[in-house]
Amino acid sequence: MRNVSKSFAGIEVLREVCLNVAHGQTVSVLGPSGSGKSTLLRCINWLEEPDSGEILIAGVRIGVRADGKTHMPDRELARMRARIGMVFQSFNLWPHLSVIENVTEAPIHVLGMAEDEAIGRAEKLLEKVGIGEKRDAYPYVLSGGQKQRVGIARALAMNPEVILFDEPTSALDPELVGEVLAAMRALAEEGMTMVVVTHEMAFAREVSDEIVFIDQGCVVERQAPEAFFDRPQTARARQFLSRYT
Amino acid sequence: MDQAALHTLLLGAWTTAWISAVAVAGGVPLGLALALLREARIPVVGHIIVLYVSLGRATPLVTLVLFIFVGAPLLGIPLDRYTAAIVTLLLNTAAFNAEVWRAAIRSFPHEQVEAARAAGMTRVLIFRRIMLPQIWITSLPGLVNEMTFLIKASPAIGVIGIVDLTRVTNRISAITYEPLPPILVAAALYMVAIGTLVRLQRLLDARAQRLAM
Amino acid sequence: MNKWEILWNHREMILGGFKSTLVLFGVSAIAAFLLSSLIVLAIRTGRAPFGRVVRGVVDGMRMLPFLIYAYLLYYGLPSLGIRFDAWTAGFIALITYHAAYFAEILRGTWATLSTGQAEAARAHGFTTFMMYRRIILPQLVLRAAPVLGNQVIICLKDTAFLSIITVRELTAAASAVQSQYFIPFEAFIVAIGLYWLTSMLIEALVARLGFAAERKGLGYKLAAVRR
Repeated sequence: MRNVSKSFAGIEVLREVCLNVAHGQTVSVLGPSGSGKSTLLRCINWLEEPDSGEILIAGVRIGVRADGKTHMPDRELARMRARIGMVFQSFNLWPHLSVIENVTEAPIHVLGMAEDEAIGRAEKLLEKVGIGEKRDAYPYVLSGGQKQRVGIARALAMNPEVILFDEPTSALDPELVGEVLAAMRALAEEGMTMVVVTHEMAFAREVSDEIVFIDQGCVVERQAPEAFFDRPQTARARQFLSRYT
Repeated sequence: MDQAALHTLLLGAWTTAWISAVAVAGGVPLGLALALLREARIPVVGHIIVLYVSLGRATPLVTLVLFIFVGAPLLGIPLDRYTAAIVTLLLNTAAFNAEVWRAAIRSFPHEQVEAARAAGMTRVLIFRRIMLPQIWITSLPGLVNEMTFLIKASPAIGVIGIVDLTRVTNRISAITYEPLPPILVAAALYMVAIGTLVRLQRLLDARAQRLAM
Repeated sequence: MNKWEILWNHREMILGGFKSTLVLFGVSAIAAFLLSSLIVLAIRTGRAPFGRVVRGVVDGMRMLPFLIYAYLLYYGLPSLGIRFDAWTAGFIALITYHAAYFAEILRGTWATLSTGQAEAARAHGFTTFMMYRRIILPQLVLRAAPVLGNQVIICLKDTAFLSIITVRELTAAASAVQSQYFIPFEAFIVAIGLYWLTSMLIEALVARLGFAAERKGLGYKLAAVRR
């Protein structure tokens, strides 16, 4: 991600942000609320269109064609997005589909996977995030933690090259946060490339390979987790961290 | 279209207007009566009303008006076409109005009835002084909405020879050989009438919402 | 001869009319629904001025009685050199008129869906059209089933207006039978009974959709509570 800027109604939310996530890395994005963390994430898969700058996934630009000007048509953009998983703060499960259908919907209809194969894989993924027994339930009966684990399985089912987590535990009751973080931790250990916007400091410290701290739309610090938490370089980061200890 | 044609057209509009108005004036209270009877849970009566509403929802007005106009004399009830048209529209709109009223009655807060009972009011008094003034306001938007449907279905009465706002366009074009202008003017008049009712319904809806809070 | 016997002997006429009504209604209701789903997609995802024009047409159509619209197509348009036979005019009228109503129902229901679902679909690589077809539209149908059902019944009833522009459907057939043999009661009661039967079938279908919605937690009762 290079020099990405984005404004809403004249207010600059992201200012020339650069971010680099290496394959297999987990990067946590921290920062006070309203600092532009979510917008940053949503720009990566073009749910928000950046005003300037460019985003590359494995060297290929998203949103704009190789000439750097023409916007990608719907179909091409969809194909790019299929390679980027996303887990949402408010889960955004599709309520008319059962748990297993939520997980197989995109693999079958976007990737064109055979139904049997998609179901088999979905079952394994649901098992992996610990909700195999909820296979045929509909989203409205699930707890927030269960919904979010379905959300993670749904993203994984696309075999994405990277998964974006947009405050995945912020909408959960405290006692349900643990089950979701456990699933995420397991993923990170398997070498999934992850970008996580979160307020869970302990998780960020333990699981991340790198911390990116942003404030007022700018990247203020990027460091290894121990360094960031123990020896923050800037006053803003110190002030931010003091609120969590 | 000349002056005479316009005059004929307005006569047609007037026919649609007064017949619809009479049907509404009768259909609204009849709908309330049906709703109350149904909510009273009298064994057979309830079933008959359910059947009536269900038939009313399913029967096209063209079919119903023919049935009533041609069939009633056989029962020894001679009906002129205007009465037949009014009875048809009235019976039809009453079936839909009954559902609107019933929804309002059902959602009426029971605590208010209890409070009135505790104050020593009789059932009739409770209905007249406590329920009716409130369900009137909550039902009115639905009743007005129903009126727009009645007007949209009213051209059916042309089939028994009443020259309403739709059928009058045939009369005019039979003389002028230009069917398009009267049809367009009639369509515009319908749009004005229904558009006005829709706007009224929104206003009443806003008022009903305030009552709900 | 008993009047019911007369009717029975001429049942072919009534049943022929009923078949015409079912064809008019079935084809039109399905085509109107498909057209309306495209209209709604155009309103929601098309360019703003285009969407406004489409909405204006939809709103205008809903202020017209069906019969005057059918008159416009059948009697009015020949003045402009566009001529349809009664059946074609009937189909066009039924399809476009009810598409406007379906479109308004679907559009209103879409406004109540959370935007997150569409976003999740995009993030999972759905194109706009696929997202609409697989994620949005099924929910709109489930959530709006009772209202859509009412409109479908109105569509059934509107086919009777076409008898006035000389389409030989059920009401026209009943009318012909009754005037030839003077059995108005029997002929119209059977016609009304057939309309009623058809609308019962529609309501049974809507009830089944309702059960499906309930099972998925999209039920109307639940929806009402959430509101």
